[in-house]
Amino acid sequence: MLIELSDIHREYTVGGELVRALAGVSIGIDRGEWVAIIGQSGSGKSTLMNVIGCLDTPTRGSYMLNGKDVSRMDDDELAGIRNAEIGFIFQNFQLLPRETALANVELPLVYRGVPAKERRAKAVEALQKVKLEARMHHKPTELSGGQRQRVAIARALAGTPSLLLADEPTGNLDSATGEEIVKLFEELHRAGHTIVLVTHEPKLAARCPRAIRLSDGKVIGDGPGAKIAYLDVAQPPVAV
Amino acid sequence: MSLRIDLVEGMRIAINSLANHRLRTLLTTVGVGIGVATLLAILGIVQGMDTSFQAQLASLGSSSVYVSKHPWVQMGNWWEFRNRKNLTVDDMEAVRAQCTLCAAVVPILDDNDDVEFMGRSLNFVSITGSTAEWLTVSGFETTNGRFITDADNESRRLVAVIGTDIADTFFPNGIDPIGSTIRVAGKPFTVIGVLSRKGKILDQSQDLSVVIPFNTFKAFFRGRRSIDIGIQVKDPETLDQSEDQLVGILRRIRETPPEKPDDFAINKPDQLASTYEQLTGALYGVALGIGFITLLVGGIGIMNIMLVSVRERTREIGIRRALGATKRTIITQFVLEATLVSAVGGAIGTVVGLGGAKIVSLITPLAATVKPGTVFFGVGFAALVGLVFGIWPAARAANLDPVEALRDE
Repeated sequence: MLIELSDIHREYTVGGELVRALAGVSIGIDRGEWVAIIGQSGSGKSTLMNVIGCLDTPTRGSYMLNGKDVSRMDDDELAGIRNAEIGFIFQNFQLLPRETALANVELPLVYRGVPAKERRAKAVEALQKVKLEARMHHKPTELSGGQRQRVAIARALAGTPSLLLADEPTGNLDSATGEEIVKLFEELHRAGHTIVLVTHEPKLAARCPRAIRLSDGKVIGDGPGAKIAYLDVAQPPVAV
Repeated sequence: MSLRIDLVEGMRIAINSLANHRLRTLLTTVGVGIGVATLLAILGIVQGMDTSFQAQLASLGSSSVYVSKHPWVQMGNWWEFRNRKNLTVDDMEAVRAQCTLCAAVVPILDDNDDVEFMGRSLNFVSITGSTAEWLTVSGFETTNGRFITDADNESRRLVAVIGTDIADTFFPNGIDPIGSTIRVAGKPFTVIGVLSRKGKILDQSQDLSVVIPFNTFKAFFRGRRSIDIGIQVKDPETLDQSEDQLVGILRRIRETPPEKPDDFAINKPDQLASTYEQLTGALYGVALGIGFITLLVGGIGIMNIMLVSVRERTREIGIRRALGATKRTIITQFVLEATLVSAVGGAIGTVVGLGGAKIVSLITPLAATVKPGTVFFGVGFAALVGLVFGIWPAARAANLDPVEALRDE
């Protein structure tokens, strides 16, 4: 088991009011799985993503990632875990605008202390995997949205993490480009990568072999993507 | 992750960041630059003044003391000094006879008056009346002719030994002054010798002087005054013991009551040094204060620009944190950036400050010198300012919540 979340709670106060973003989430994800986490806005899926990505720590509960209890780690240890175990792919790409594609891809390896030459070789290799080696000396502003997301994916791959964690990876792309990226994920899945993809789009979740649906900070469905994706579409929208 | 990687990567980011914001970097460096330039120019001038003053002081000799009615540096009740008994030739004779630690003891009378030669006149010339051993006590030599002898003194001869300023003015182009007659305070004196050059002390020439026999001075000038006693001690190392001995001899001969303080003063050249230090110390302090305030303003400028930089790059910080940068990595990055801007400002300021000191020494009589260490001090101090004022913005950057930082627009 790569990811073992047991009874995860995450609570915080906003303006003196207690918000229960996660209210007892238990999930297990195996190596090589491709899992979508789906839910509407406010369902807790972003908080869950932050916890899984070690950007946030749970208030209660335990989180084992690759055999390590990360729920009790301090800030420096978590930085190390993020660097070694997790490849982030964000909705808005999160590339450094002043650095070239290559330098962006190299960044996790810089923080790992990989020597410059080896770092460059690995970054080029990662860019080849996303078919962007021809544009590696371009800055993000000189690339299209799809190309930027592919640079971000290359950056996630470069550090050979045990988990790819994607947050609405097609959210900022048109449907044709989005489709390209989904195809790339399918390829990566076939190549054996473990992928957790957070989305609010049932269409995207339906493409994943497994989906977990969150609502009000709780898991309300876990099963094949095609089945779980449209689980609560019939439910009436919550009045705000 | 090692500190070395933090430093290497931090330096690379800092250089990129500064290169990407050239105008901002320039404006920020100006603040620190002005501070460092001010400090260095002031230090240069003060060091220059110190150096020339030390040299001047050394020319007075460290083994001479002068007993006078008044201290050179008067503080306190002027009347108390005024009512003291005059120092007399008898006092001087007693010292000469009893002081075992003294090598030479001479009576000195002095005044300032006009000196004329062939229709030309020099005003406010120092006129000294003394005896043969005055040369030893004062540290002068004769470069031409001879000095006053005991016979000159006993016979009250109208002979004069002149300083180089007089010689240069009255006898230019190598004319030999020996044997010429000059008028000192209206009386004719035959020049018998020329003194060696000593230069200036506190901008006052030591060479605008005429030395005549003591008894001649007493007879022809206002002689019923308190004399000074010039003393050369045998060993500069025993200056303090010599002073104690002098005090004992003088109190005995002058019959100073035991309960009263000394009614005379023992003056030493290093008293001038302490006066000088008092005078320049205050000046120095004020000037340094101004320099530090300028640097403080520069430092606040850096802090301000670093806070802006952190604000602008919040998302970058979030990205770096997500990819594995620790808090220390982020702190290092921003502190290095602040230090680098400041050090660049310091380097510019050093060049400007040294140039300023140089210009000051060219257009004013102040001789500015800058010790090599001062340059390192300038750049190093600027870097330190950057470091200190960079820490808080850097800590703010490092303590950002990565999740919040990533969400920043």
